[in-house]
Amino acid sequence: MATAQQPAAPSVNRGVQPLRAGQGYSFVWRKLHSLSGIVPIGAFLIEHIVSNFEALKGPAAYAEQVRFLNSLPLVRVLEWAFIFLPLIYHGVYGVYLWLRGQSNVVYYPWAGNWMYVAQRYTGLIAFAYIIQHVLRQRFMGVSLPEHPGAAFHKVQVELQNPWMLAVYVIAMLAVCWHFAYGVWLFAAKWGITPGETARRRFGWVCVVGGVFLAVMGLAGIWAFVGPKYQNAPEDVKPAVTLSAPDMPGFSPASRAFLLKADS
Amino acid sequence: MPIKTVSFEIRRQASPDAPAVWESFELEWRPGMNVISAMMEIAANPRTRDGRETTPITYDSNCLEEICGSCAMRINGRARMACSALIGNLEQPIKLEPLSKFPLIRDLQVDRSVLFQNLMAVKAWVPIDGTYDLGAGPRVFPQQQEANYPLSNCISCCCCMEVCPQFNESTGFVGAATIAQVKLFNNHPTGRVLKEERLRALAGDGGVQECGYAQNCVEICPKGIPLTNAISDVGREVVVQKAKDWLRG
Repeated sequence: MATAQQPAAPSVNRGVQPLRAGQGYSFVWRKLHSLSGIVPIGAFLIEHIVSNFEALKGPAAYAEQVRFLNSLPLVRVLEWAFIFLPLIYHGVYGVYLWLRGQSNVVYYPWAGNWMYVAQRYTGLIAFAYIIQHVLRQRFMGVSLPEHPGAAFHKVQVELQNPWMLAVYVIAMLAVCWHFAYGVWLFAAKWGITPGETARRRFGWVCVVGGVFLAVMGLAGIWAFVGPKYQNAPEDVKPAVTLSAPDMPGFSPASRAFLLKADS
Repeated sequence: MPIKTVSFEIRRQASPDAPAVWESFELEWRPGMNVISAMMEIAANPRTRDGRETTPITYDSNCLEEICGSCAMRINGRARMACSALIGNLEQPIKLEPLSKFPLIRDLQVDRSVLFQNLMAVKAWVPIDGTYDLGAGPRVFPQQQEANYPLSNCISCCCCMEVCPQFNESTGFVGAATIAQVKLFNNHPTGRVLKEERLRALAGDGGVQECGYAQNCVEICPKGIPLTNAISDVGREVVVQKAKDWLRG
């Protein structure tokens, strides 16, 4: 036979391709990923942890917080546009980014390199946690937008399982780490902190912010598992807010009185 | 008294598609020895530790004073310049391997032309060609010179790219060296004429956005170039440039 024999393709290192100047859209996708971690996802994370802090005031106050958030205009649109869709994008694209990176922390065990790896693992923990959290707390069981009074009980039942409690605590720490370092990375990569000193200082700001958020978040979890509000009723009436129509002749004295009467 | 010796484990590969093999060498210790001088000795008498005759080791090198950037390789697992790797400071046996992310030519020699293609893609030069005498260049203030000098120290060794987790075949990331050169030439009063083109080039696939800020580049750089500062500054300018381009249509 006169057919040319095909040589077996050698496993040769072809190397990294050069820059594709002016080609492709990865710049937009990558920057959108970076930005979405700050706004809206990071902003929502802060809101969520602050809202959960209300649980320390008891089931009625927590129910009122849930009722208030669900009373926002166009709340379902806000929820999808500023929470679910950005989260899905940030998570899915983040995993894609991780798969394309090639960690070498074994050979180069430097702080920044460890943080690079940690950012990926904490991101994956956060993403996996958020998927189950949204499914179980938002889309399964009692629908909280319609029954804000059931919020405290629903979360409390969830956290009665010690495994689930462990998941929540680990995820809280992972999320706060991921967000705090993410803010630092954002400032570094978008050129807000282009100097060594600025990055070091801002690093401390992020450490303090991250620890603060984590402590607040853990305190929120404590509200559901601590001794104070054990066996919360399945449904409570949201606490009355101190809005203008409720408080004719508003004065500091009457406000103090109402607050006292409330508790 | 026994003779003090130095032992080497060298990863060898006869051609790009040949299998890689390890060879051991043992040399007499001499004061002030470095990895390149050791390989020169091996070339003078290419025998492995067990006395088997072999070929001299192929590697790139030129200046032997850490200024040409040729002799980058992995020494005990880390990318560095072989000429400034003094034997006395290294743990033995000294393991020599080629850079892992560049096409291998033979033994420790790799093809680093991707860096030069990247530098061309971002026009890392000062355009002064003309059909007439352009006269004296604009003045560069001393403060600007101070800022530019560290960036101009780049020796194109590619260590920053070798150690970058984002520099690989799936991202095709451009690497820190090229980004720092964009900053250098954008700072130059004549080089600035190409500033917008350079920034747009760096927004292409594999551009500055692929940086994961692991900061290995700045740790490994043998010339101490402030690479992370450059990535930060250029990253901001690319965003601003792209925003301007979109708004102006």
